[in-house]
Amino acid sequence: MSRPVYLDHAATTPVDARVAAAMARCLTAEGEFGNPASASHAFGDAAAALVETARARVAASVGAAPQEVVWTSGATEANNLAIFGVAEYYGESGRHIVTGRTEHKAVLDPCRELERRGWRVTYLAPDGGGLIQPEQVAAALQADTVLVSIMHVNNEIGVIQDIARIAAICAQHGSARLHVDAAQSAGKCPIDFANLGVDLMSLSAHKVYGPKGVGALLVSRGGGAGAGAEGRAGGRRRESVQLRARQFGGGQERGLRAGTVATHQVVGMGMAFELAREALQAEAARLAPLRERLWQGLAALGGALRNGDARHSVPHLLNVSFEGVEGESLLAAVRGRLAVSTGSACTSALREASYVLRALGRDDVLSESSLRFGLGRNTGERDIDAAVAAVGQAVSRLRRLSGV
Amino acid sequence: MNYNEATLAYFENTPAAGVLLGPGTLRGAAGDRAHGTWVQFDLQVDAGIVQAARFLAFGCPHTIAVASWIAEHAPGGELLAALPESVAQLSERFAVPVEKRGRLLIIEDAWLACVRRGELPVHRGNH
Repeated sequence: MSRPVYLDHAATTPVDARVAAAMARCLTAEGEFGNPASASHAFGDAAAALVETARARVAASVGAAPQEVVWTSGATEANNLAIFGVAEYYGESGRHIVTGRTEHKAVLDPCRELERRGWRVTYLAPDGGGLIQPEQVAAALQADTVLVSIMHVNNEIGVIQDIARIAAICAQHGSARLHVDAAQSAGKCPIDFANLGVDLMSLSAHKVYGPKGVGALLVSRGGGAGAGAEGRAGGRRRESVQLRARQFGGGQERGLRAGTVATHQVVGMGMAFELAREALQAEAARLAPLRERLWQGLAALGGALRNGDARHSVPHLLNVSFEGVEGESLLAAVRGRLAVSTGSACTSALREASYVLRALGRDDVLSESSLRFGLGRNTGERDIDAAVAAVGQAVSRLRRLSGV
Repeated sequence: MNYNEATLAYFENTPAAGVLLGPGTLRGAAGDRAHGTWVQFDLQVDAGIVQAARFLAFGCPHTIAVASWIAEHAPGGELLAALPESVAQLSERFAVPVEKRGRLLIIEDAWLACVRRGELPVHRGNH
């Protein structure tokens, strides 16, 4: 039996074979297996050199300086370190945070936890296309706002937020640091961390053909960045950002993230990010018409509603709701032929409509009957056509069954 | 979500899906598509015995599978104010999670709506 067509690259990607090979060399006795913190012998030195090369590769791929890269276990930990780290370090000067209703749970849940601890959080509502207007951020800022956390690309609908303008607004405010969850955009969209004027940025390796279990938080060290016309504060010198560490016990990563650095993991992330940077433009140009082919095929079924502003979206992601079908049945009906995500979260046996789609104004039934298609390096026209056929048959059958 | 073999078989094949038309057809429905679950049964009954049954359903795979099984197994039985199997038996047969068992009550309500039509015959034929 053949495997289903994989169109869930927004959830995770397979590790690139070149990346896997590089990682494997860090694991065995013949390779660089040493502890990168062991400065007393050559094994440690060799591992440390690989770690620093990986750090430089990740930094270069997103326009950051190597010393701004702090390794983490993934974007979730990076988001937690950014939000709690800023909140706790700057808590004496302010206890207000601004974020969006359509952020990933790895941002929303830390914000909820801070609310429980007495912080005030403003959750900005997106427009019907999923976009948060920079003016909304400006209006939400208060005198004691210390952090704004807005994602670059939404993981469910793929819309791209105007981070440069939001960064400029935060800079004008003065004390509001900007954190950006870039898990869904790094390696897929051009990012210039220095010139964007962003203070903190979360990255993930496994979204770009790297391994799971590793990511990074970019922590601005300040300097002359932000001088670009699109950049923060029209040339204002950026200040470095301070964080309160979340874990202790060895002082690694400048004291921000204690624990032995997993050489193979960061080497994998470094190579994955470098490969992604090299392929970025060509891949985006290849995927855009494929996504459009997919949308046109699904739209032809009738009763298909595209979620998210198509004018401001990434080429690798498409989210569509289908009228007249129930979400769980739709997913079950395509499961054998197609690997996609649905617009609902499973909580025990019952499903919960996507909070992202509900924030866009979709009702519960349409929110649950959505499918997220994540295109990737291995996606071709045959996969798209197979997906359209699978969804078309499922939707037609379920509509007939439901008497629609 | 994992489904047992019975659920997968009846969800994928949906025997007895559709509608019945003509004099004597009893139609009963319950639920609301806007709330995620809706079920309809059509029954043809002669001398108190179900001759044919069809169903339509908007809902999860468990809902569709159970409605399909009921419609397949109803013919030959008496038209009673009870499903061919109890809700508890159906729940076990299809391994319906406890959180979803309210949906079986919607299926039962659709069946009972048909039975009530039998008590007060209403023709919903194609005329």
